[in-house]
Amino acid sequence: MMIGLIMAVVAGSFVSLQNIFNSKVSERAGSLVTTTLVLGLGFLASLVIGLFVEGGNLFMLTDMKPWYWLCGAIGVGVVVCLVQSIKHLGPTFAISIVMASQLGFAIISDSLGIFGLKQVPFTFQQLLAVIVIVAGMLIFKMSGKKDEEVAKAA
Amino acid sequence: MKGSIFALLGGVFITLQGVANARISQDVGVWQATTVTQLVGFLLALFILISLRNKTWRNVKQVKPLYLMGGTFGAIVVFSNITAIHKIGVTVTISALLIAQLLLTFVIDSKGWFGVVKQKMKLPQFIGIGMMIAGVVMLTF
Repeated sequence: MMIGLIMAVVAGSFVSLQNIFNSKVSERAGSLVTTTLVLGLGFLASLVIGLFVEGGNLFMLTDMKPWYWLCGAIGVGVVVCLVQSIKHLGPTFAISIVMASQLGFAIISDSLGIFGLKQVPFTFQQLLAVIVIVAGMLIFKMSGKKDEEVAKAA
Repeated sequence: MKGSIFALLGGVFITLQGVANARISQDVGVWQATTVTQLVGFLLALFILISLRNKTWRNVKQVKPLYLMGGTFGAIVVFSNITAIHKIGVTVTISALLIAQLLLTFVIDSKGWFGVVKQKMKLPQFIGIGMMIAGVVMLTF
C-alpha cells in the first residue's frame, strides 16, 4: 500500500515539474514541437534506465500483442485535447474538468477491471471520496484563479 | 461546450494511458512498457510535426537547457504510474498523483520558483487542500 502511494506521489510531483518546464518550451516552440521533444527525451531516458535495470531483456518484446503498440498514440491525443480545451476555456477551468474526468474514469476502470487489470469493487464510500476530492480541487483551482482568466470566462 | 468535451476526453485519455501501460507491463515488463509507449508516442508526434512542415522547432535553441530536460521526467512518471496502479489500483493512484501534483505546483507558485509569477495564496485554497486530503484518506481506509 505504502509503496504504491509513494510511487503515485513521485509521479505527481514530476508531472508538476514537467508541466512548468514544458510550458517554458511551449512558449517558444509551440505545443507540437514540445510534445515531440518531451516524448523523445522520455523515450531516451527510459531506454537508458531500462537497459541499466533489465539489460538485454529490455528488448524481449515477444509477448507484445499487436494493439499494445498503438497505446503509445494515446499520449498524443492527450496533448491535442489539453491544448484545445485550454484554448477554449482557459487553463483553470480546463484543468479542473480534466482532473475530474481523470478521477471519474479511474473509478470506471477499477470497477470494470478494464484491459484485464485487477478489478477493484465499486463502493459508495469510494464514490463519495472522489466527489470530496473533486470538490476540493474545484475550490482550490477556482479560488487561485488569475484575474485575466475571470475576465475571459465572463 | 467544445472546450469541455476536449477537457473530458483529455482526462479520460490520461487515465486510459496509465491503465493501458499497466496492462502492457503485465506481459512484457514495466521498463519495456515505459520505453515502448514513449517511443510510439514520439514517432507519431514526429510524423505529425514533419507532415505539417512545422518550423517552430528552430526556437528550441532559445529555451534554457534545464527546461528542455523536463522530457526525461517522463521515464519516472510512466514507471511510477504503472507501479502504483499495480499496487493500489487506478482510483487511489490517480487521486494521490493529482494531489501531489497540485500541492507541488502550489508550493512553486507561492515561492515563485523557476521564474513563475509569484502568487498569493488564499484561505479557500487551504480549505480545498484539506478536502482533497480528506478524500484520499476516505479512499484508502
